[in-house]
Amino acid sequence: MTYNIRLAGVGGQGIITAGTIISEAAKRSGQKVIMSEIHGLSQRGGSVTVDVRIGDCYGSIIPQNSCDLVIGLELMETFRAIESLGNVGTALMSTEKINPISLSMHRKEYPCFEDLMEKYSMGTKIYPVEAGEIAMEAGSSKAVNIVMIGVALGFNLFPMNTSEVVHVLKDTFPEKKLSINMKALELGIAWSGRMKTHVHENSTVPNRNS
Amino acid sequence: MRYMADPIQFTESKIEKNPVFLLGNEAIARGAVEAGIEFASSYPGTPSSEVGDTLSQVADKLGIKFLYSVNEKVALESAFAASISGMRSLVFMKHVGLNVASDPFVSTVYTGIRSGLVIMTADDPSMFSSQNEQDNRHYADLAHIPMIEPSNPQEAKDFMKEAFELSEKYHIPVLFRTTTRVSHMRGLVNVGEIPKIKGTRRIFEREPKRFVSLPVNAIGLKKMLMEKLGEIAMESDMSSMNSVSSDMISKIGAITSGSAYNSLMDAVVSHSIEMDVLKIGFTNPLPKTRIAEFLRKHEKVVVVEELDPYMEEKIRTIAQMNGIRTSIYGKLDGYFPQLYELNPDAVLQSLAGVINIPGYIQPNSPKNGSDLSPRPPVLCPGCPHRGTYYAVKRSVRMSNIKKPIYASDIGCYSLGTYDPFDEADTIISMGSSIGVANGFSMVTDQKVIAFIGDSTFYHSGIPPLINAVHNNLDMLVVIMDNATTAMTGQQPNPGNELDYDGKPVTGIPIENVVRGIGVKNVSVVDPYDLKASLITINRSLHQAGVSVIISRRECAINRDRKLRKKGEIEIYTVNQDKCGKCMNCVENFSCPALFIENGEIQINPTICDGCGVCAEPLVCPFKAIEVKN
Ligand code: SF4
Ligand code: SF4
Repeated sequence: MTYNIRLAGVGGQGIITAGTIISEAAKRSGQKVIMSEIHGLSQRGGSVTVDVRIGDCYGSIIPQNSCDLVIGLELMETFRAIESLGNVGTALMSTEKINPISLSMHRKEYPCFEDLMEKYSMGTKIYPVEAGEIAMEAGSSKAVNIVMIGVALGFNLFPMNTSEVVHVLKDTFPEKKLSINMKALELGIAWSGRMKTHVHENSTVPNRNS
Repeated sequence: MRYMADPIQFTESKIEKNPVFLLGNEAIARGAVEAGIEFASSYPGTPSSEVGDTLSQVADKLGIKFLYSVNEKVALESAFAASISGMRSLVFMKHVGLNVASDPFVSTVYTGIRSGLVIMTADDPSMFSSQNEQDNRHYADLAHIPMIEPSNPQEAKDFMKEAFELSEKYHIPVLFRTTTRVSHMRGLVNVGEIPKIKGTRRIFEREPKRFVSLPVNAIGLKKMLMEKLGEIAMESDMSSMNSVSSDMISKIGAITSGSAYNSLMDAVVSHSIEMDVLKIGFTNPLPKTRIAEFLRKHEKVVVVEELDPYMEEKIRTIAQMNGIRTSIYGKLDGYFPQLYELNPDAVLQSLAGVINIPGYIQPNSPKNGSDLSPRPPVLCPGCPHRGTYYAVKRSVRMSNIKKPIYASDIGCYSLGTYDPFDEADTIISMGSSIGVANGFSMVTDQKVIAFIGDSTFYHSGIPPLINAVHNNLDMLVVIMDNATTAMTGQQPNPGNELDYDGKPVTGIPIENVVRGIGVKNVSVVDPYDLKASLITINRSLHQAGVSVIISRRECAINRDRKLRKKGEIEIYTVNQDKCGKCMNCVENFSCPALFIENGEIQINPTICDGCGVCAEPLVCPFKAIEVKN
């Protein structure tokens, strides 16, 4: 069995960092893991995806209809990822918007959230997270990637524990940045906690086996 | 910020930490280090660049002489010299880099080498960051060089060591071929010991009969090469780099290699397909006896490989020569695609044409693309090239030049081909901007403008400039000097005064080179200063002969790094009271930090890098863009 995660966003959002942290934590919890990376020209502000595959598998490419979790660091890129993967288990989506110049260049504005939801969610359960605001609260708008890792941990969407992720964070970031990222992780976890307690009767919270 | 602090724990071999989580390219570097290399050289190119990024962090500590060369040809020639002086040497490049190095590549296989010499080349199926998807396996046949191909990071490391052993045993260079998926796949790797190397200087012992490839010697060398290759073919047949994945129980078999192996196995496992798999890691010469034996044991054999039917043609030949009747399926008969990389879904779809796969349902043909707004890569916020392209486009329009020809080149500035700039009519190969401009200037009366970056200019822009000056051609050459090799990850180049590790080196100013060649009209501008740039470009556009403008400003990524460290970035914002809504900034300058919301122009504060160019009156005539406080 393989647990497949796709991280999606825009070049420069720390997607490779997020993927490496998740993978390293999976490795330290004794699991096999493979990750794909994007380098070179595509990193320059374009759509970027990183795939993490935990468990027994050979290649880094996630086959159609077998992605368990999408973590989107940007709104439109989350939908783009879902669209390309077929059926997706769960998607956590940062509501951060980064405008592609293909829009403004033609005097167009970023599409509204509800329209995107209606048109592109393809039946996937999508959980929007105000990760940009949470990251600011943690001390840096750049910490959206870590907030989203926290949210996924809070929902128990990773096949490993919080403590493993915390260890990896400590080995990844220099002291100055560590406190911000630890805070981002905590706030992310807390956000999921609040979600879980506030759910309505007939709505659901994501979990790994759904 | 990347998890890169100590990428392979090179300083000591912390083997108790096994396995480590390495990128394919990091594993290649690790393998070379474990093989005891003492010399390495490269010209950066995706998807091979991280081999150099890794070595540059550890070479000094380990006593390895590592350098970025001006181009791939010089990199290979240097490594050849190191090898015949007694040092194990690694040279690495992207697939098209081997085209540049192909001249010495072929001849060094004739002469042979002394200490191990491995030439690593990274192909790019599906062209994630390349101009073509040439299949470099053909180079193995062309040059009669042994070739090895790993499928994952563990093999990348292990096979690299085997490649060095092989090279040294037969005194022949070895081609080590990866693809993007292998080079850019991160996986678990058990690392081994790092040997102590001498890393000192050597004495070269002459042997002109071997190393001087004049015809008189080459005649004998070719014969020796072919004899060597015969022996190496036997090595291939016995090599553990070729392996069968099961106990040969099925009537159906597959022969595969590299990244295609991973896609095949993921497909086979997901649908519990019963199939024996022969995986080839030693791909030239192929293990002929093993392949013949494998063919004999199966009724049907599929050849699963990426790009060209390289193995398939040889496997069909092996079958024919051995009178084997097994049915062989591949690309030549149309079962597998000859385009792009494979993935598990594509493999399943092709396999379904050959065998019955229980439970497999042909997917509905995927819908044609997405209608989400596309997000191709863009020049960074603060990128100096944006100013250069903006100013050139304005100047050309102001000068009323009809049908200008833009001959562009390879680097981040290739993105100038996209709107709103649309300033590229040709991009062919490294240095081709000036080369192609030569031709246009000879056969048209249109104004020819060549764009080339600093690294690309050093790499192969100098000979075509000599050609242009010598032949009295007319062209404007804009050399976009951002003091780095940006696209591949900010590696240094010959313009720099400091090497990758901070060692002083001799910077070679582009203006000296250009003036030395005899260009009379040489100017240097700052692309952040749009007005001055515009005036200079206007003037140069009206000069006859070869004019060169050096548009000089540090790459924004390097600038940001320095400013962030000092905490000095000041970002910009739009004063809505002043904004005249002309939309020029978003439509024609198009920095990715600028966007429109509720009809107002906004600047995304997490993206703006404070270059301030959008605040120039040539971009914002209303002076509405101001420093945010
Ligand atoms: S990396 Fe440097 S050269 Fe490349 S787009 Fe960014 S700023 Fe421009
Ligand atoms: S100052 Fe203007 S052009 Fe420069 S990065 Fe910020 S928004 Fe872009």
